Amino acid sequence: MFTRLIVYFSYFLQTSGAYQKTKQFFFNLLENPHSRLKAYFDVFMIGLVMISVFLLIYEIDKEINAIQLFFEESIITIFIVEYLLRFWIYNDNHKIVLEHYEKAEYLDIPFSLSKIIKLILTKKIEYMISPLAVIDLLAILPSYRPLRFLRIFLIFRLFKLFRYVNSIKLFSQILTSKRFELYTLAVFLGFLIFIGSISIFLFENPQSGGHIENLFDAVYWAVVTLSTVGYGDITPLTPGGRVVAMALIFTGLGILSFFTSIIVSAFTDKMQDMRENRTFAELQRIENIIIICGFGRVGRHIARQLKKNQQPFVIIDTNAAHAAAARHLNYLFIHADASKNEVLKHAGIEKNASAVLCTTGNDITNVYITLTSRQLNPDIRIISRVNHNENINKLYQAGANHVIHPFEIAGMAVAEYVGQPVAFEAILGIIREEKQIVMETICVQGGSSIEGSKIADIDFEHSKLMLVGVISTHPAHQKHKNSYPLKGQDFYFNPEKYFELQQGDLLVVLGRQVGVDHFRYQLEKSRLKPGAKR
Amino acid sequence: MKRIAVFGSSGMALEVISRLDPETCSAVYIGQNQAEVAAFRDKGLKAEVGDFRIDDELKAAGIGSCIDYLFCFFAADSDNVFLTISARALDNKLTIIALIDDPDSAEKLLAAGANKIIDPYEICGRKTHEILTKPEITNILDQTVFRRHDLNIAQLEIANGSWLEKRKISSLKLNEKHDLILIGIVDKASVDDLHFAIEEQEKYLDAGDILVVMGPTRAIRAFKERAALTSELNHQA
Repeated sequence: MFTRLIVYFSYFLQTSGAYQKTKQFFFNLLENPHSRLKAYFDVFMIGLVMISVFLLIYEIDKEINAIQLFFEESIITIFIVEYLLRFWIYNDNHKIVLEHYEKAEYLDIPFSLSKIIKLILTKKIEYMISPLAVIDLLAILPSYRPLRFLRIFLIFRLFKLFRYVNSIKLFSQILTSKRFELYTLAVFLGFLIFIGSISIFLFENPQSGGHIENLFDAVYWAVVTLSTVGYGDITPLTPGGRVVAMALIFTGLGILSFFTSIIVSAFTDKMQDMRENRTFAELQRIENIIIICGFGRVGRHIARQLKKNQQPFVIIDTNAAHAAAARHLNYLFIHADASKNEVLKHAGIEKNASAVLCTTGNDITNVYITLTSRQLNPDIRIISRVNHNENINKLYQAGANHVIHPFEIAGMAVAEYVGQPVAFEAILGIIREEKQIVMETICVQGGSSIEGSKIADIDFEHSKLMLVGVISTHPAHQKHKNSYPLKGQDFYFNPEKYFELQQGDLLVVLGRQVGVDHFRYQLEKSRLKPGAKR
Repeated sequence: MKRIAVFGSSGMALEVISRLDPETCSAVYIGQNQAEVAAFRDKGLKAEVGDFRIDDELKAAGIGSCIDYLFCFFAADSDNVFLTISARALDNKLTIIALIDDPDSAEKLLAAGANKIIDPYEICGRKTHEILTKPEITNILDQTVFRRHDLNIAQLEIANGSWLEKRKISSLKLNEKHDLILIGIVDKASVDDLHFAIEEQEKYLDAGDILVVMGPTRAIRAFKERAALTSELNHQA
């Protein structure tokens, strides 16, 4: 009966949206390195740890008052709650139960509850003996009155910072990654200290005319000398002792250099990972990111424009010089091959990316990246550069939405410049938004005052706008003249006065940005009015 | 008729020459070898062999005499600079359009005497950005600027005695009467400054002003013909 109840409860937890959501929330808060919530929580906890340590120092020679005591207890309560929450989210007990229950059902073997309890306990103990959990516990325990004798462990609150400060975490990771080298160094160091202390004790014991009275003093002297600190409280007097001192000083210099080089090389190795991890973490948090594959001349122009418009983007390139240039400009950069699935996935192609731009100077690479991107995300917009006309169709076949040929566009621009320089410069000015006049689209939203209105009844002049045309897919407009096909839509140039606007139509207007914004504002306001068309 | 000489990359030259209006432009490609020239001639285009480093050969190509426009499309910026300097020395009024590979060369080409610099990579970058941020607008402007459809933009200079002279912009009502959108006006007094029509409704037009209009080809042609008429003839029409 009890077993069935546990299995039922496990199934309940497995299917409960509220439970899953709550657990996910606390996971994001405490453990998820890509969560913004965790970043805020870490800052909050660093503040609490620092305050609690300051209170601790204050307590040494002063009596704390009731408010301070309340504050201290509140901090401890938060530490306890945090510890318990981490204990809870460390694993999913119900999954262990269900996994074994389903296995027992499938194989028709008895379901052992004691085995499950053992497994759950093992998991929880595994958490409790993990270094960071031990630090957490030691930071809390001394606050319990009967365990006041453990006050010294309050210093472990400072070690809690390991959890929240990334650079400390990184340092511990570096030490871990170089444990073999550090272990070798430690053995060698221990060996040297042993030899040094024995030697100095033999030469400098009181019977030989020295100051070193016991082996502890000898070890102390060896450590101080080897570290090149040299306090001078114990000095060798005999020639033999001095020789040992000189040998230890030189060896100490070597050991320090060796230690420094281990740490520096570990940092250098880790630097690339650090940069990429930071980039990936940042990418997780940004919505509608644009992936630029290739940071050559075209890629740079695009990045500059996107930066100007504050549109988030990430650059992927294998070229070291391009990597340096992108980093110099402080752009998000992934130094990798953009045609690899993993690289594009890291860049967010399946989640938060809105477009992929293939801008390398190599058509083969562009086709391959386009194909990879299309496979990973069938809905994403892909714009690709092409360098040879014969490859345009291949890029469309690979899944590109738009293909741009630099020399074709340059050719068109030159031809247009020769034919009509003034008109060309005017349009170029509008496109580049250099003349304060912009061409924008304004959507006819359902319920706005212009939905169902005739063009003649709309006051464009008030916002100093000029209507160029209407983009629409609505079949009601097909009777109108001046219709031009436009990528699955129709563009109605200079629509007649009786042209009736439908929901979803896009007005193409020319005017100042302030006029466009004002017109949009009026439309939004009209949708909020009581009795607005719905 | 605008007479154009094109030097440099045959691919780029072909892109441009194929887009020029044959009724108003006559282009000749000056290739460096017989094979390049033959490829152009096979396509029915005019082509000659010539060495841009020799002034006499530039003169033979018409620079300094009958050529109005010079296109410098060499892959190396140094070649374009050299051709620009040589051509400018031969003809002070020549309009020189040069391609650049390195953005830093733009100033050098301008200093050498080029009138217009085209950076294909910059244009490509901008185009990509436009497609990304304003896809509908980019498509419309593609139709008009690059004549991919019947919709065009055009410029029209107001001739002396035209019925457009002394007319107020707001009274033109080109969208209602001529199926055109008046985008802007270049005042003859300030040639480089384009005034957008929406902000200049009270302005009176003068002979020499340039109108920039957008509309279907037939409407543009009809308007150009009508613009040449005097006030009296316009009334009769």
